[in-house]
Amino acid sequence: MIDWAYMWEAVPDLINGLGMTLLVSFLAIIFSLLAGAVGCALRVSSVKALNYLIAAYVEFIRGTPYLVQVFFVFYGLPSLGLKLSIFWSGVVALSIWASAFHIESFRAGLTSVSKDIRNASASLGLRAWHHGLFVVFPIAARSALPSTLNTVVSTIKNSAYLQAIGLVELTFVAVDRIAYEFRSIEMFLAICVIYLAVVLVVSALGHRLERRLDRPYVGR
Amino acid sequence: MSEASGDQVGIQFRKVNKWFGSMHVLCDIDLDVASGEKVVVCGPSGSGKSTMIRCINHLEEYQSGSIVVDGIEVNNHKANIDRVRRRVGMVFQNFNLYPHLTILDNCTLAQRWVRGKSRAEANELAMHYLERVRIPDQAHKYPSQLSGGQQQRVAIARSLCMSPEIMLFDEPTSALDPELVREVLDTMAELAGEGMTMVCVTHEMGFARQVADRVIFMDQGSVIESAPPNEFFDNPREERTQRFLSQILH
Ligand SMILES: Nc1ncnc2c1ncn2[C@@H]1O[C@H](COP(=O)(O)OP(=O)(O)OP(=O)(O)O)[C@@H](O)[C@H]1O
Ligand SMILES: [Mg+2]
Repeated sequence: MIDWAYMWEAVPDLINGLGMTLLVSFLAIIFSLLAGAVGCALRVSSVKALNYLIAAYVEFIRGTPYLVQVFFVFYGLPSLGLKLSIFWSGVVALSIWASAFHIESFRAGLTSVSKDIRNASASLGLRAWHHGLFVVFPIAARSALPSTLNTVVSTIKNSAYLQAIGLVELTFVAVDRIAYEFRSIEMFLAICVIYLAVVLVVSALGHRLERRLDRPYVGR
Repeated sequence: MSEASGDQVGIQFRKVNKWFGSMHVLCDIDLDVASGEKVVVCGPSGSGKSTMIRCINHLEEYQSGSIVVDGIEVNNHKANIDRVRRRVGMVFQNFNLYPHLTILDNCTLAQRWVRGKSRAEANELAMHYLERVRIPDQAHKYPSQLSGGQQQRVAIARSLCMSPEIMLFDEPTSALDPELVREVLDTMAELAGEGMTMVCVTHEMGFARQVADRVIFMDQGSVIESAPPNEFFDNPREERTQRFLSQILH
């Protein structure tokens, strides 16, 4: 049987864990989006060496287990002279992972911008960066949004792996209590519900944004 | 260096050559378009018409010869390209409107960021030109909600908002359903009536007869014939022109 009273008692602890989950995820989402944008720019730049470098980065991240990447950052980087706290190791590992997926989503978004439209901007005298900011970016963003949203949601869910390096986030709290009190069904049920709630809220916001960006295209 | 004598207006091509790789697409083009003149360019597919007019506002580079627009040498200098594009507007076969912006914003984006106008100023001018192309009521719709003919008229208005002295048209009606061609040609004819310098690639021969001062026939990268419309259509001198005309008129 499920012990609801026990679950209720755990709520303050879980909320603390959730706070850390949200903080790490939020930072990683921001950093990975920025890194994704920069990476995508390098990926499609005219410098061939950079194209290959970024392509290799994306392949490497997508082709290796995420947990191994987390360990690599936390246990591996110190021996290369880069020692990060648990918290920042988590943020960095999560950002690295997500940025690889963002790079590919953004790149796919760029291909949805017709080449002809560049001619229109040029003939109107628009500078390349105005064209990039006001024309390419919004058109590409719209078509990249669904897969970007997918990565954002996965970033939140993947923050759970960070319990493996001792980050006191939601999953860590649950596993920790289970280790002492053996109420696994209560704890896992509780954190599943919490993760699901967070993901549903983020998805709903994302879909609202999608509908907004789709508005110009659904005309008739 | 770039500014020739001030009274040199219009467009001058001098021995212009362009290659795409090893393909010679413009061969020694010599062409003068006077200020206020309307020139229609025709010729078979692949003859270099688009490439030729795209060289005028430097959407394409050329490898030798010179093109001068209103006294400004069209070359790789950024400042020159900017100055030429200030004077030259262009309308494309596929409209190339910004799909994510309303009709009004399509017409104001460049005004605001290239000319530094305020939103209010830009809106006012945009509405002025949207009225001229007779679609002010569509200002707050998106391109996807308009017919092809309406979209092309927006593209014309968008160009006019930059107050060009010269307008280039690259087959502006060939992506349109036949019943929508008229409204676009009428808009262009009105523009011609107001003294705009125009270079227009089109196979609309009725329009050429009505509006053009001169019709140019291109084939394989060369200008083969250049004559006033009556002469061009009724008495073409070159055999290739005759063959082309007999193909499109029948
Ligand atoms: N970007 C390009 N790269 C390579 N070749 C090109 C390019 N653009 C055009 N060409 C070639 O240059 C030649 C001239 O093309 P252009 O588009 O100017 O012809 P056109 O007269 O406008 O034809 P159409 O009536 O089909 O529009 C063609 O043989 C075309 O295949
Ligand atoms: Mg063409």
